[in-house]
Amino acid sequence: MPFPVPTPFAFFRLDALWPVFVPCALGVAAIFLLLPRPRKGRTTLFGVLLGGVALLGVANVTRTGLLSPETVLFYTFAGLAIVSGALLVTQQHPARAALSFALVVLSTSGLFLLLAAPFLMAATIIIYAGAIIVTFLFVLMLASQAGSTDADARTREPLLATALGFLLLGCLIYVLQVSYASNDEHNLVLAIQKQIDQTRDKKAQLSQNNIKSLKDYPTKVMAEIVKDSTDANAQGQVGGSAHESAEIQRQLDQAYIDWPNVDVDTTTVEDLRVALTKLEATLQVTLLRAQQQHGWLLPNAPDRNIVSNLSGPAAVVPNQGNETSWRYDDEQRPPMPADNSAYLGRSLFTDFLLPVELGGVLLLVATIGAIAIAHRRTTPARVP
Amino acid sequence: MIGIPLHHYLVVGAVLFCLGLIGFLTRRNLIIMFLCAEMMLQGVAINLVAFARFRGNLQGQAFTLFILTVAACEAAIALALILMLFKRRGSLDVSLWQDLREAGQEENVDEEPLPTAPTAVPDPVLTPSGLEPAHRQETTHV
Repeated sequence: MPFPVPTPFAFFRLDALWPVFVPCALGVAAIFLLLPRPRKGRTTLFGVLLGGVALLGVANVTRTGLLSPETVLFYTFAGLAIVSGALLVTQQHPARAALSFALVVLSTSGLFLLLAAPFLMAATIIIYAGAIIVTFLFVLMLASQAGSTDADARTREPLLATALGFLLLGCLIYVLQVSYASNDEHNLVLAIQKQIDQTRDKKAQLSQNNIKSLKDYPTKVMAEIVKDSTDANAQGQVGGSAHESAEIQRQLDQAYIDWPNVDVDTTTVEDLRVALTKLEATLQVTLLRAQQQHGWLLPNAPDRNIVSNLSGPAAVVPNQGNETSWRYDDEQRPPMPADNSAYLGRSLFTDFLLPVELGGVLLLVATIGAIAIAHRRTTPARVP
Repeated sequence: MIGIPLHHYLVVGAVLFCLGLIGFLTRRNLIIMFLCAEMMLQGVAINLVAFARFRGNLQGQAFTLFILTVAACEAAIALALILMLFKRRGSLDVSLWQDLREAGQEENVDEEPLPTAPTAVPDPVLTPSGLEPAHRQETTHV
């Protein structure tokens, strides 16, 4: 039986390189054109255009193909963060640069909120946007200079530095793409999920009349998975690893061997229900494996002792067998925790007590250091 | 289970880090250089929080809190230093401190001149009101 993507895993593949290389090259051109320099002609428009195309290229690398509120929010915040980061780098006026850094911080806080870290979101806004940027603006006012100066209108080695930065970025994105996920594997996960849902439906609608439709059901399941994930392969996306495909095939083969020989007279509904339950469990295992391979959220396996989670206690807690005591939603994700800050605080004062104290000492030392540096040493006035 | 996979967050963090790196290497204003360093820290913080979310524990978030602490310390010290440097040279340009370079290195000299600021347009002069203008004597009579 054919199965998708039995390509040998090659670390360096040229067809996987261009979706990363092209946006990075465009990014180099865009940032280079946008960086401030004396006698800048009409390069800003070109720079903005190239940067927009480069941003679309990065979005292409990270596309999910689904439209849910979470993805819309993610792309909004991520795009805002990247655009205002580019503004910070290319802005000639320092005060405007500080304001675009504030935008970077705000959109990063949005990403924190999507990542179930409400306390960090608040702390980041208060500390960065509230304290650091305001202090920077104060210093800017103290050191305000009139007109365009050497410091603002010139750059050092713009082409080399931009090429270096985007070389690093290209390497990072390429390694992430190779080691984590490509869209095929995303589609593979979705395809397995779909088959699990279908198996569940079949189990719910099982009766003596439709037994016949379940003849060789695992074969159908596998054919569907093949179909759903090879459609994506045809679009020229980066392939998955052969090892994983072989693993899925092995497990489904086993399910096929275990499948009862469906006959209208002898097979009972109960037999099929048991078989379907077993098949569903097999599919769940494959799904879990595929998800773990590609950095999806790990579901809460019932036999696994969770040491701590985002909304759970910090210390090791034995699994009491009471699933409802863990705060997980229907899709086995830890939900957005309202008491995240409480548990984060408990974790800080149990697991990270020494680092917290060291952090306090660091703050104290920094305060003393800042005062010692900025202190104006004046000779004491003589008292007559 | 539909969601954003981990590596999408990692890509965003990598982009922010590299933009900050470019800014730190190219810009000459001390304050913008430090803002770019802070942006690199933001990229790292996104990575840590994403790992915390996807591994289902709190260690990444706790580490991000320490990053915040260090960033606050860094900002305080950096601003004090920047103020002192500004007092010495009267400018935020980091290239004014090139005399701190090593012995064998050449000095980096700017050759392209800065654009001259546009000359200010003179204010329009209004004619004073309430004064009768001087009449010219007519020279021809028909």
